[in-house]
Amino acid sequence: MRKLKFKYSMELKFSSPVSRHYFALRCVPGDSLRQKITVAECRVSPADYTSADKDGFGNLKISGSCRRLHDMFSYYVAGTAVVQGMTVQKCPLHPMYRYPSKYTEPGPGITAFAEKVSQKCKRQGTETAMERAVCAMHDLYTRFQYIPGVTDIGTTAEQALMQGKGVCQDYAHIMIAVMRQMGIPARYVNGLMIGEGATHAWVEIYTDGGWYGLDPTNDLHIDDYYIKLAHGRDYADCVVDKGIFLGNASQEQKIYVNVEEISDGRDSSVNGTAGGREADDPEKPDHADTSHRG
Amino acid sequence: MKELVEHTEGINRLMARYGVKFGIYKGGEFHEQLFPFDAIPRVITHDDFQQLEKGLIQRVNALNLFLNDIYSEKKIIKDGVIPEEFVFISSGYLPQCEGIMPTKNIYSHISGIDLVLGKDGEWYILEDNLRIPSGASYPMIAREICRRVSPATFSNNSVVDNRNYAAMLRQTMDWVNTGGIPVIMTPGRYNAAYFEHSYLAERTGSELATCTDLFVEDNFLYYRDYREKKQKVGVIYRRISDEYLDPMTFNPESLIGIPNIMDVYRSGNVAIVNAPGNGVADDKGIYYFVPKMIRYYLDQEPILKNAPTYLPFYDEDRKYVLDNLEKLVIKDVAEAGGYGVIFGNELSSEKLSEMKKLIEKESRRFIAQEVVDFQDMEVMEGEDRVLRKADLRAFVLSGETTQVWPGGLTRFSRNADSFVVNSSQGGGFKDTWVLSQWKK
Repeated sequence: MRKLKFKYSMELKFSSPVSRHYFALRCVPGDSLRQKITVAECRVSPADYTSADKDGFGNLKISGSCRRLHDMFSYYVAGTAVVQGMTVQKCPLHPMYRYPSKYTEPGPGITAFAEKVSQKCKRQGTETAMERAVCAMHDLYTRFQYIPGVTDIGTTAEQALMQGKGVCQDYAHIMIAVMRQMGIPARYVNGLMIGEGATHAWVEIYTDGGWYGLDPTNDLHIDDYYIKLAHGRDYADCVVDKGIFLGNASQEQKIYVNVEEISDGRDSSVNGTAGGREADDPEKPDHADTSHRG
Repeated sequence: MKELVEHTEGINRLMARYGVKFGIYKGGEFHEQLFPFDAIPRVITHDDFQQLEKGLIQRVNALNLFLNDIYSEKKIIKDGVIPEEFVFISSGYLPQCEGIMPTKNIYSHISGIDLVLGKDGEWYILEDNLRIPSGASYPMIAREICRRVSPATFSNNSVVDNRNYAAMLRQTMDWVNTGGIPVIMTPGRYNAAYFEHSYLAERTGSELATCTDLFVEDNFLYYRDYREKKQKVGVIYRRISDEYLDPMTFNPESLIGIPNIMDVYRSGNVAIVNAPGNGVADDKGIYYFVPKMIRYYLDQEPILKNAPTYLPFYDEDRKYVLDNLEKLVIKDVAEAGGYGVIFGNELSSEKLSEMKKLIEKESRRFIAQEVVDFQDMEVMEGEDRVLRKADLRAFVLSGETTQVWPGGLTRFSRNADSFVVNSSQGGGFKDTWVLSQWKK
């Protein structure tokens, strides 16, 4: 069990004022058996209103709007998380996580990869879903290169795999597609991890009556150093920061994430990129410009 | 009736003046087409209608229970009545609707159930339309005009007065209203059914609105009128499809939706008619399971029959389909509006074997049906009476109770050899007379 202190901020600057801005944010971590969250501060500005509710996947979502002219938009969330990474909440499986979704539709590349992993597992006598998942994760980690800027938020698992390089979103999509192809239910997770950087994406697989996290970008099991924000079938279901506005403006986005460990009474906070883990590149702006709206 | 037939041209001219049209996209261009009216009505006897009514109410009630179940407990899947892949791969299934309780638990407020009358005198269900079934306005206005042309025809023949559709619709909307004005939302005048949207708004006393007139604030939906005055909306009969409804939840590219309306809906602060997510219940693959739903949820035998349908997903059915493809109709479950319907007897042997391969490869994608030998109907072609295929779209409204509108849209195919009657594929319509018990 670890106690983490987290800060997550996003600042968006528009080159010229925009209006009728609507947003939906999944930037506040939800409480669960594995992570006990205390939110110290949560600010969204400017906003005419905000409203918080669970979405269809069970994630905490804050929606709201700013209809008047404005040239910047930001949110800031800070708090503490008591994480017990190995504790898994038992829950029934929603069958949708068994089937391909928009970003994880298998093509020849995914099918061949899944087949290869399955055969390897058979040869090694690997049977449990978790062992097979770890085997797939390791193979993916070995053959896929972490290179930012070569994929974007619209890249599918199949496209990323064929390209052989990408970022955490791509690792997660490929892993999910392969898992489902191998008959293991899987879902996409957005979250924060120890250190300084941006948001991160990983995978959960369903086995033994619960969801277990794996981080294919780093070839690791999810442990106490990860704070989960949201999950869904793939990226599209659980976008952390989604917006739509009226205006013809270019935008500049700054994201800052800081997660550090608080050890009671002792000053031994872990900072920076821990244990050679790869933090993600700053998330690409997802505030879709709708200047053409009539 | 003779009088009506003689006035066909005049009736059509009046309808054109009123703007009774539907839009169609051809080669990327928008065209408005008249929907030709044929004056010879479809006549349904009192007894026949009573049976039909019972069957339709039963079916729509079961479909509403199914939708409630799918977006909550999913008992019908856990109990093995419907294989899960038919539900969760369906593009109509929207996980974003999980856990939402629509006002009064109604998902399908307005159901358009398409039927044909077989040569054996039995009605067969062709398909259920639970998303935004259109077409009620055409027989509404046709009846209105016909009554003016020849009022006596209707009393002499004891035709049930069905000029109450708008009242029924308004009642259905009022029943789920969460406290605010009623609105009919249209994507705009370039929509195929724009005439209907404006007509229904006028007749139900609802505001006709586009996305620019509607906005979300403080987790409520508001309508802004031409004086910039804002009014809270309690029920929205939206005539835009699910994927365009809320760009923040569904297709982010949608420019005709209302951002964050899904949150308002989830909070119970507005009723959406019909509920988002209904597509999972009118999927062509799910159609096969509707009789099973009726038995499962209502513990009743289905009153109305499905056309004999096979699911290549099941080994036994697949074998039958592959062996008998040349006499079956194949439907792609993802397509609608008469598209993706293939008649086995029209395929060359080469195409037939291609189709077989496709069915074997993507068995979930298709259903196959026996060609129902349905009764032809008389249609005036110039001075002659000719026989054409026709179907019936019955409108079933679910509010405090489930009711069937005594009428419906009877569509007929223009060509003698065509079975496809969708208005988007050409063709015309007729009035549908339900006879009253008090026959003179």
